[in-house]
Amino acid sequence: MMTDIQTILPVAIVLSSLIPGLLIFSLKESQHRLRITLNLAGVFSKLLLVGWMLHGVSQGQQFSFNITFLPGADLILQGDALSLQFVALSSVLWLATTIYAIGYLEGSAFRSRFFGYFSLCVSATVGLALAGNLVTFLVFYELLTLATFPLVVHRGTDAAIRAGKVYLAYTVSGGVLVLMGVALLHALAGTPDFIPGGYLSPLVDQHQAGLTLAFVLMVLGLGVKAALLPVHGWLPQAMVAPAPVSALLHAVAVVKAGAFGIIRLVYDVYGIETLSLLQLTEGLMILAAATIIYGSIRALQQTEIKKRLAYSTVSQVSYITLGVAMLGPIAAIGALVHLVHQGLMKITLFFCAGNFAETLNIHHIREMNGLGQRMPLTMAAFTIGALGMIGVPPIAGFISKWYLGLGALETGQSWILWVFVCSGLLNAAYFLPLLYRGWFAKPAVEWAAHPQAKRPASVWNETHWMLLWPTLFTALLAIVTGILAGSDFSPLAWAQLIVAREFAP
Amino acid sequence: MNAALVSMVVPFFAAMLVLMWRPQQQSWLVIVASIVSLLAAMMALLSVIDSGPQSLNLGGWESPLAIRFQLMPVNALLIVTTAVIHLIVVCFAASSHHCQSIKQAFWPLALLLHGSLVALWLSMDLFNWYVTLELLGLAAVSLVTLAGHKALRAALDYLLLSLFASLTYLLGVVMLYGQYGTLDIALLATLTEADRVTQTALLLISAGLMLKAALWPLHLWLPAAHSSAPTPVSALLSALVVKAPLFILWLLWSRVAPSELAVPMGFWLALLGGGALMIGGWSACRTPHLKTLVAYSTVAQLGYGLLALGLLLHWQLNDLQAALWLFVVAHALAKTSMFLAAGEIQASTGKKRLNSLRGMTLTMPVALFAFAVAGGSLIGLPPSGGFIAKWLLIQPMLIEPAHWPWALLVIIATLLSAAYVFRVVSQGFRQSSVSATATEHGKSAQWLALLPAILVWLMALFSEPLLQLMDVFSA
Repeated sequence: MMTDIQTILPVAIVLSSLIPGLLIFSLKESQHRLRITLNLAGVFSKLLLVGWMLHGVSQGQQFSFNITFLPGADLILQGDALSLQFVALSSVLWLATTIYAIGYLEGSAFRSRFFGYFSLCVSATVGLALAGNLVTFLVFYELLTLATFPLVVHRGTDAAIRAGKVYLAYTVSGGVLVLMGVALLHALAGTPDFIPGGYLSPLVDQHQAGLTLAFVLMVLGLGVKAALLPVHGWLPQAMVAPAPVSALLHAVAVVKAGAFGIIRLVYDVYGIETLSLLQLTEGLMILAAATIIYGSIRALQQTEIKKRLAYSTVSQVSYITLGVAMLGPIAAIGALVHLVHQGLMKITLFFCAGNFAETLNIHHIREMNGLGQRMPLTMAAFTIGALGMIGVPPIAGFISKWYLGLGALETGQSWILWVFVCSGLLNAAYFLPLLYRGWFAKPAVEWAAHPQAKRPASVWNETHWMLLWPTLFTALLAIVTGILAGSDFSPLAWAQLIVAREFAP
Repeated sequence: MNAALVSMVVPFFAAMLVLMWRPQQQSWLVIVASIVSLLAAMMALLSVIDSGPQSLNLGGWESPLAIRFQLMPVNALLIVTTAVIHLIVVCFAASSHHCQSIKQAFWPLALLLHGSLVALWLSMDLFNWYVTLELLGLAAVSLVTLAGHKALRAALDYLLLSLFASLTYLLGVVMLYGQYGTLDIALLATLTEADRVTQTALLLISAGLMLKAALWPLHLWLPAAHSSAPTPVSALLSALVVKAPLFILWLLWSRVAPSELAVPMGFWLALLGGGALMIGGWSACRTPHLKTLVAYSTVAQLGYGLLALGLLLHWQLNDLQAALWLFVVAHALAKTSMFLAAGEIQASTGKKRLNSLRGMTLTMPVALFAFAVAGGSLIGLPPSGGFIAKWLLIQPMLIEPAHWPWALLVIIATLLSAAYVFRVVSQGFRQSSVSATATEHGKSAQWLALLPAILVWLMALFSEPLLQLMDVFSA
């Protein structure tokens, strides 16, 4: 009986969002209640299943499902500690975002299409996290590209279509590079399952050129989604998408899919030993460091809230890549925990930006003056997210930066500390003015006189409850994961578990 | 073998029946005939899987004189594909609102096309192929003319070029016959030598076939003919008819030609395939018209077939057969879907231009979805049939660093195909100025357009048995 569940559970986790998604496509626009029911049923069943698997994996159980696909490369879905870090993050944030999106899109057109693709995206993200070998990863990686495109162009305006085309140009090209890398590795070594320590070390002597090319191809390809430096251009453009899409997909799922791919590639395909023999991570480290600084500088130049957040994402996601590229266990903990922490903080910030835009039609930073008087709760959540990004304790961001910094010292790469210091200062430079404006500056017009603003009856009604509660929920999570980082159930503890398994001799 | 013959004879027989009896509801008779033919084709496939290749000498004559039919895994697969696509296309023609005006002549001609295709897949000698190619060409040209006045020019070009190609082909065949005294492929394979006459004959035959298959740079007739034909006809032509010469080309160079000739020829064929991928893809990205875009995509995708064939010959690598034929089958299914969807969209808007697709995700969601899903397979996105074929094609390219430039070609081709597919899809997401609502009629035709696209993605799930089938053959 147990073995059955161990095979079915990974598939069930993918299907728990895929099936509601497909059903939603067939619904009419007016079947409002049924759509919400399906959505929530999917969300909660996924959370339940993920919880079950988390428990199993922490007990050391194996979960694996496979069907035959290509010669020598089955489709494998498996749950290990690393995949669950990502699966758990996306499932929890899917809950928050679904509620947010229901509130956000209330009354607008094409909702069946939106929620259908939204569920497909989550399925693809989860599938990619659970993928047990490179070919399976590739399948879901490409599906994620396809499923996000309709969400980017959702509004159907010229600007949206243009952004959609840019998005596709980047991600499809990236996908082709990943495909070529995967196929090249398959030609050289077949496609075995992901395994801690990698499986390519026997090939280093013979196929140095092939392995190097495959690594470069795949890092470039994955770098598109992870918004690494030369190929990050789609991310700021994709901000024309509706707020829930920017929040979950572009701040979390899609960019993390790229970062997660790099993690898999480094730890479970090449392995640290092989990579240090091939001397490939130097370049990746420099690229990531450059992206961190570049993203922060560009963020500083933006005047639109969402654009500034987007460049901040470019910068923050590269912390993960940088941590991975350092190849040390402590840096790895920092990278893995940042995967979760950055997600919580960034989604909070995007929710807030969406609330400002929806409630008061505020898109630009200069319009934020005095927002704290009108929307104190959202502004508080924004503050938590922003301070977390800067790395102020006890918010989650501090923990990841602490470990990344320690990791840099441990691996003897002290120049990276300067990158962190520099980026921290830049983070402060582009976030603190927003907080200042929000809390201390005088509003341009009195809020009572603002065209959109009826003075809310109580603080809790500053915006639609479905927009407010998810924002507060994720902000709370960002604090709690920071304060309780030392406990047994925190993302930090889980990251330590992963690293213990990955770096086990 | 008998089942395969049934699959061939039933369409011919039904065509005669339709012509002589002239029933009121021709479409039903045609659909029934297609179903019978499909069932027979499936039985033929099963029998090949069970008991291996089989051959039959018509009239009981022995080899040099006889007309020989042979059933192998590859052509069994092609017969099934042909029957599936014919069934879907005739169902589409019967159910689409916009095909009501299609002339009565469509039904017998479509049957004739079906029968001659199966006869061609089964044949194993050069003269039989000539006869079936002629039948196929005539049926195809007549079908194009059904679109009326505006298609006459394209149909005439098609006819003349097709005749010219046949003559070239025939000339080559005569030279081979003069040299070796036989036209049977199996016999020729044991006799041919790498001399001047053989080389010239093979090149003449190949030139004729390449013109008929619209292989780049002899493709110029295809976009006009395929885009001006009635929608069901476009689908049949692009999905099936252009594949027939490719089949002959493959047997000719991999069986008949001595390897001294095949190896250098393979290089040039692969290069032409690359040219087709580039030029076809680029043209598809530029054209302002929807159906022309789909037609250019056929030019490009045939390039994959030619590339696989060329590299197969050049590297003498039989593994690539699987890639070649999976490309053919995947493209046939995907292109059927694409043409049916494009035709249905074009007929309902009444406009040929791409920008008439605005708001299609609302008004014709299923047709646009079919186009996108089929496009995914043409791009080669996993997990689709097109992906499997591409994967098999790039494996041998990647294993040797010296072959990497070919992989670069595939990368560019993939990007081009993504560009033209998403050109169409993104138009569909554009807001439309008129607030149109989903039309209820024509739903079934849209779903029929989606069906082959779903089949091509399902191919990925059945890739293992498909590849085993190919292995049986190459072993």
